[in-house]
Amino acid sequence: MPEALKPSDISKPSKRLAHIRPEELPPLPPPYEDFNNKTIAELKEEKVAKVEASLDDTIAIGIPKPKNKEEEESYIRAFLSGLQKLFQKENNWGFLQPLLLSMDHCAKCQTCSESCPVFESSGRKEIYRPNFRSEVLRRLYRKYVKPFGKLSAKLTGDIDLNWTTISRLAELAYRCTLCRRCASVCPVGVDNGLITHEIRKLFSQELGIAPKEIHDKGTVQQLKVGSSTGMNPVAVKDSVEFIEEEMTELAGFKVEIPWDKEGAEVLLLHNAGEVLAWPENVGAFAIILQAAGISWTLSSESVGYDGVNYGVWYDDVQLARVAVKHAEIAKKLKVKKILIGECGHAHKALTIIADRVLTGDLNVPRESAVVLMDDIVQRGKLKLDPSRNNFPVTLHDPCNLVRLMGIVEPQRRILRKIAPKFREMTPHGVENYCCGGGSGFAIMSSFNFAEWRTLVSSRKKFLQILEAFKEEPLAVPKYVCAPCSNCKGAIRDILDYYQARERSNLHYGGLVELIVNAMEGMKKPMIKFGEE
Amino acid sequence: MGLQIISYLCLIVFLSAVGLRIRKQWKMPVHFRWELYPVQHEPREKASYGGSYMEEVNWWEKKRRKSLINEIKYMVPEILLLRGLREENRSLWNVSFPFHFGLYLLFATLFLLFLGAIILVSGGKVSPGAGAFSSLVHYLTIVTGFLGLILGTLGVIGLIHRRLKDPNLKNYSSPLDFVNLFLFLLFLGVSLTAWLFFDHSFEGARGYIYSLITFGSWPEGAGGKIGVLGGFAAFLASLLFAYIPLTHMSHMFMKYFMYHSIRWEDTPNVKGSRLEAEILNNLGFKPTWVAPHIGADGKKTWADLAAPKPKEG
Repeated sequence: MPEALKPSDISKPSKRLAHIRPEELPPLPPPYEDFNNKTIAELKEEKVAKVEASLDDTIAIGIPKPKNKEEEESYIRAFLSGLQKLFQKENNWGFLQPLLLSMDHCAKCQTCSESCPVFESSGRKEIYRPNFRSEVLRRLYRKYVKPFGKLSAKLTGDIDLNWTTISRLAELAYRCTLCRRCASVCPVGVDNGLITHEIRKLFSQELGIAPKEIHDKGTVQQLKVGSSTGMNPVAVKDSVEFIEEEMTELAGFKVEIPWDKEGAEVLLLHNAGEVLAWPENVGAFAIILQAAGISWTLSSESVGYDGVNYGVWYDDVQLARVAVKHAEIAKKLKVKKILIGECGHAHKALTIIADRVLTGDLNVPRESAVVLMDDIVQRGKLKLDPSRNNFPVTLHDPCNLVRLMGIVEPQRRILRKIAPKFREMTPHGVENYCCGGGSGFAIMSSFNFAEWRTLVSSRKKFLQILEAFKEEPLAVPKYVCAPCSNCKGAIRDILDYYQARERSNLHYGGLVELIVNAMEGMKKPMIKFGEE
Repeated sequence: MGLQIISYLCLIVFLSAVGLRIRKQWKMPVHFRWELYPVQHEPREKASYGGSYMEEVNWWEKKRRKSLINEIKYMVPEILLLRGLREENRSLWNVSFPFHFGLYLLFATLFLLFLGAIILVSGGKVSPGAGAFSSLVHYLTIVTGFLGLILGTLGVIGLIHRRLKDPNLKNYSSPLDFVNLFLFLLFLGVSLTAWLFFDHSFEGARGYIYSLITFGSWPEGAGGKIGVLGGFAAFLASLLFAYIPLTHMSHMFMKYFMYHSIRWEDTPNVKGSRLEAEILNNLGFKPTWVAPHIGADGKKTWADLAAPKPKEG
């Protein structure tokens, strides 16, 4: 058996630090045994010749290799400069205290390891151990930021700083979904998820390095065009008009989706990805809010129709820019509150993190749509017939909504009322497992990253879903309710990759679709298995 | 008096280091919220499953309910019994718990020794038959001291063994981690030997505390009982006192901040509040991040940069 890697090995050049072997992965049960031999497609030499690819079998960022020694040294200087800034209040007041506490108090007991779905599902590859990347940063911090660090490094744990260290560390920051399950089991309170977040931030804010899907095509595009989907206000209005027509046909009455209604009670912020990928989710919200008599509106102003905020995963400045823009739009519309649709990270970004960015009139109250939906359902504002949802349903808990925000019961109260065959996954609630698509993974697909995600980071979730429905016969359609766009994206990819629709009759969707499906008086069902 | 001077110096280092660490935390700028549920100061019905006040419609219009009792009910077994470690990492708990609980018992012993020394200073006696309270102090000191030394020693041997044999721990351990553990082993081993052969009733140890309180004098008959080993144990104990708050082992008390200032820090920002004032102050900081999309120039504040004007596209 080869000797396990140590944190200091990250700096030693080699072709690859870790390799996923199919026989080491947790096995999938029947009828998925054939996938137990699947391996991640080898990266083609000519495609990766010019980018950093020595961490493992995949690439999330694709950092260009330095052309010469000077460029390499300039990377190192920039990294060290960013490292210093992480520990300065002027540059990192938003996370300084949590970061310092997590840097200084780890007992290296490795209790965190067993809680990490990526570590477990990779066949326990050392580099994915939550504390591996943390320990790398910790050693660099002690050596280069703390007084007498270079002198004490031999005693406190040394590490070499070179291009290999930096480039692998940047990639490694994108092998953790920031689900913070590890933090929740740490006996001391150390947060490896936070440390990963800070590494990402260092690279983005100092070196301008981040996956293009979350930066160039994400926050930058959102702030420039209006949405990370690339839709401008005209395009989004066109798409929503089409949704209105579809929903009117489905409901049997005129469904109206209001735009820019000043003084409305609620400004609804969707993940704009819903408009393109899951328009029925947008439509279901419209039907419910209209039926419940809520005064609501969408915004057609740039950024105002896309609730995503990818900054929460990697860049505090981008996070603040998007959040401020959302708040400015709500203020301008004079709404009473911002309602955040079924998008986990948008909840976390605008409700929790941005709570310490938005001040004065920008501090418009924010609420989870799940909470309002629960209120509507429990107050009997909709006529519901649960027998319309007479198929097995399980609930996926988005980490951002549940473990990181404490919204656990409202969605369950709804399901208990409208889904007679609802059953929990194991574990669930605040102990849930990430879908594997968290922190941007669901939208990242450069090189072979999507395959790594499906085989490794989403594997635990797939096993959980199969377990939840294991007693159900194949002929019965089964519904995975995932009230989060990114989670839905990851689950969609799992079901596609493993052919789970064909093999297990597995389907997925949001929560509001289930509510509308249970509503009496609808001309057509909202959920039509096999047509998604 | 040389040993006492070392103890005084170590106590000064201990108090200063603890004070500085705590002061540093209090002086930290308000940070972004980063809580993790369950948050134990939520009312019982919510804390039981990890729910938050944000589960309520229009939560900002409602009075927040917080439960100190829930927090205490969670923290007491967490601190005393290392509940989290027991649940998540049982095999490590088997050695970590005796070590930590042994140290708690030794802290209790130290308190009892101090109490006994006060009795002696006041002219009383600490021995069987010297009154109910004095007898209680006498016997409790022996019980907590003995158990503390035994548990601590077994625990630290177990921890050293685990750290040497388990590659998951060994590969992440630095030389300093072993130095720390061996320092504890040395202190516990020396103290246990001193107790076993010279100071069964901790009379010598109590006498040493007496000498610290009285700046050098010893209670009658106790001076000789501390012996060379006892003196060495007192020296090592003093050293550990000074050393712990300088290392990651300060998690013993810094855990308070990790829970209360981060994991459970869910205070919502309210218009016109002190919290908002602190946030506004932080938004006035001038960052110097140099990635082009940030647009920082050392003059623009966070508030300026947050105005959504992308610099690239």
